[in-house]
Amino acid sequence: MDTVTTVNLTKSYGRQAVVQGLDLRIPQGCVYGFLGPNGSGKSTTMKMLLSLVQPSAGEVHIMGEPMNRRTRRRQLARIGSLIEAPPGYGHLTGGENLRLVQRSLGLDEAQVNRAVQAVRLDKQLDKKVANYSLGMKQRLGIAMALAREPRLLILDEPTNGLDPAGIEEIRELLRRLASRGVTVMVSSHLLGEIDKAADHFGILAEGRLLFQGSREQLFAAAVPDVLIDTPEPRQASAVLDGRLTTRVEGGSLRIGGIDNRVTARVVADLVGAGAPIYGVRREEQSLEDVFMTLTAGGRL
Amino acid sequence: MTPSLSAVLGTELGKLKRSLSWSIVVLLPLVMVFAGSFMTLVSQQQLADGWHTLWLRSVVFYGLFPLTLGLGILASLVWRPEHRGGNWNALMSTPVPTLRIVLAKTLAIALLGAVMQLVLLIAVVVTGKLLFGLPGLLPPRYLLVTALLVVAVLPVAAVQSALSMTFRSFAAPVAVALVGAGIAAVALAAELGGVIFVLPHALTARATQLATGTFGDSGQLTAGGSLAIVCASAVLTLLVVALATRFQERRDVRV
Ligand SMILES: Nc1ncnc2c1ncn2[C@@H]1O[C@H](COP(=O)(O)OP(=O)(O)OP(=O)(O)O)[C@@H](O)[C@H]1O
Ligand SMILES: [Mg+2]
Repeated sequence: MDTVTTVNLTKSYGRQAVVQGLDLRIPQGCVYGFLGPNGSGKSTTMKMLLSLVQPSAGEVHIMGEPMNRRTRRRQLARIGSLIEAPPGYGHLTGGENLRLVQRSLGLDEAQVNRAVQAVRLDKQLDKKVANYSLGMKQRLGIAMALAREPRLLILDEPTNGLDPAGIEEIRELLRRLASRGVTVMVSSHLLGEIDKAADHFGILAEGRLLFQGSREQLFAAAVPDVLIDTPEPRQASAVLDGRLTTRVEGGSLRIGGIDNRVTARVVADLVGAGAPIYGVRREEQSLEDVFMTLTAGGRL
Repeated sequence: MTPSLSAVLGTELGKLKRSLSWSIVVLLPLVMVFAGSFMTLVSQQQLADGWHTLWLRSVVFYGLFPLTLGLGILASLVWRPEHRGGNWNALMSTPVPTLRIVLAKTLAIALLGAVMQLVLLIAVVVTGKLLFGLPGLLPPRYLLVTALLVVAVLPVAAVQSALSMTFRSFAAPVAVALVGAGIAAVALAAELGGVIFVLPHALTARATQLATGTFGDSGQLTAGGSLAIVCASAVLTLLVVALATRFQERRDVRV
């Protein structure tokens, strides 16, 4: 079952479409990494999922029910979120802020305590939020989102301002929540921040979804370059000239964007033409490379 | 599962802790009453009609501008933290229905306004006794007027709350309050009694004149006059709250 599905989700401001035709599918109990460069429409999309912003076209379904202005307050009881900047009233302490959340949502003490412990804010509750560091404000915001024990958690760049240890803690927290069945959608413009936590990805560029699927599918989507090792790369390159774009790199020839069938034919042709070949391999790719390849495809 | 209005109101009152609004609630009426008394002392006039004169000098001007202005500032103060950081997104991402948010904010502002009237009442009694040595106590009709004032601040609280909810600016809604008070003063001076059913700021100003004999007031506190205040207050408040809710329900959050 998918916790979040959207159909043709679109938002335009004036003539400019900032989110276009998104068909999101976020499976239940996964950590969905929502990636894209600055201004690609991540926050706008998340706001539409929460009905903070009404779509220009398309629809959102959450846990099988439509999410719109008519249904949102009912839906929001089971959705925790943190969008753009962390919330919190500066003139109150962290503890007082949490008590306000507890009171207005009718939560019990234990729920709030668990949320506080999850983000390790126990020792900072008596301090005024105005005097919090950005990282502490983020933690408070996450605690506020967690306190209602949501089935769906939507976090917009939650690791903003966190130190490396804090980022690691949040990753662990997200994985732990997902293992308990909570669906987590988390955005970032830095792949490295969430790639270890996420098992599903949606990659956005200029308001369009470039890729969506599991980690394995992501690797498969961006076909890695083939490297042909040969002592005569120039001769080999000449053989393929006109058919494929190749690049000579030291003792090898790099060919991009060819599948296994084409690779086999290339090798046969090279051998047929008498080029000495002693190795054929696909390049090891990091998730970062895949991400860069995909977003570069989005004309950035 | 939907949070109750009392829980939401409790939350709103909790947000007022350490808020600047309390100093306004206390200082504004104190300053007005003391200014009225000070003028009386300096001009070496007597309180010709005892408690009545003291009440009149304390309340009539206060009701024309400072009270409305004070409510405008209180509304902006109450909404200001909601416009900061991620608070607006958070407020609109809870299961609390928009109507309850709008109502609770209006009631919180009106409650501050009510406390302001109470401070005013106490200040009048204290200066009457200590400064002027007036005999007896403030006539009970002024307690009734105070009670009516508590009701009459509701529509201004609703309008100013709606404005401060809509505009991030602190000053713009306060300026609207000032303009509203100006129009109210002119309309009341022209004895256009019906204006209290149209302009909330006029309703509040009119209520402060009850039993004073100033502007169009007869000087008597009548059942009809009181009922008109209560009815106008109820109608305007409900109307403004309904419109503000509808508007907010359709609006998107800002960037
Ligand atoms: N209310 C609005 N009016 C006009 N344009 C808007 C509005 N809100 C967002 N935009 C535009 O939509 C685009 C996407 O913005 P959005 O905030 O969703 O990007 P993002 O992916 O969250 O970026 P970042 O990584 O910087 O947070 C931007 O070009 C932005 O200028
Ligand atoms: Mg953003």
